[in-house]
Amino acid sequence: MPEDLRKIRKRKGMSINQLASRSGISIARLVQYEKGEQEILSTDLRRLAKALYVDEWDINPHSSPPPPRQERPARPPRPREEPPKEKKPPRRPPQSPPARDSQIAHLLTLAARFDIDQAALEAEIGKPLEELTQKEARSWNSRFMRRIAEERPPKRAIDRKRAYLPEGVDGFELAYLQEQQEAGVPLCFTLFEGQTFEGAVVGFSPYQITIRELGGDEITLNKLAIAYYRKAGGVE
Amino acid sequence: MSLGDELRYLRAFRGGGNLRQIEEEIGLEPGTLRYMEQRYRRVGEDDEVLAKIAAYYDVSLGVLQYHRERYRKALSAALQQAMESGTTACFELRTGEALAGRVRWWDLGAFGLEPEGGGPLTVVQRHAVLEWG
Repeated sequence: MPEDLRKIRKRKGMSINQLASRSGISIARLVQYEKGEQEILSTDLRRLAKALYVDEWDINPHSSPPPPRQERPARPPRPREEPPKEKKPPRRPPQSPPARDSQIAHLLTLAARFDIDQAALEAEIGKPLEELTQKEARSWNSRFMRRIAEERPPKRAIDRKRAYLPEGVDGFELAYLQEQQEAGVPLCFTLFEGQTFEGAVVGFSPYQITIRELGGDEITLNKLAIAYYRKAGGVE
Repeated sequence: MSLGDELRYLRAFRGGGNLRQIEEEIGLEPGTLRYMEQRYRRVGEDDEVLAKIAAYYDVSLGVLQYHRERYRKALSAALQQAMESGTTACFELRTGEALAGRVRWWDLGAFGLEPEGGGPLTVVQRHAVLEWG
């Protein structure tokens, strides 16, 4: 007598996952087969019989739908019994540990800058240094540091002699040329080869100087070819 | 005159070729000549490279080595010292002339020299200076 797939699987103690992995049939399809939503295909029937170690005709190809689940009555919510809250004692501020030796030493060093010795310092603080907490020591150190900063003379501009490197600019020569151009003074240019040109500057760039000669001709001289120049005719 | 200025001069004298092309022609690493022409510090330490350049420009290696010792920063230092001390400085130029005077100012490309015996300020191009002292 053929049995429903679900019954056989349960009897064999197999989960639906195990059956799916052994038969190669998807879980979704197995669920459909077990619920009777779909008739088991002949190919799947063979696989299932093999996986369940039964004969094909032992499995009912059209399973009857499983009985509806009897739903348990919902459990009424248990009333929460909260234990009465105990009043916590007010939290105490954490106790600062005693000041470190280094803090005390630093404090004494700072105080010494104001000619305050240990006795005077303890009088100012109001208790012996050994009784200071870390927090108090930190506070007193900060106080002295502030005092030092306030009494420090204002910083003067550092009179540092820096290397003077006009080789980064060509302002002097250009300023000179500008001046001569505005004055219209003729300049005498001597080139590397000894050749000379005389004329008023009409324009210049970092690489070239253009002059107007007495005859009215304009010549552009490449600065690389110039050795030196000066005002023409020995003009001061 | 520094090695860089000498190389610039030689290149201009030969018609002003393209640096990259010259480097290729000589067989130098790209940027070698540009570096040597532009630097203010001492350059051209490799004599093999200098020899190649000397051969290309048809000058002796000794000429380039001579200019290597007269790098721009060295001239800057001399000009600055002369200006600060106010003493008379002498400059031997490539034209064959020697100028003596007090340095009034100096910059990237030139310096103003007040001639020793009086006269107008002479603006000397730095690349024209062969020797100084």
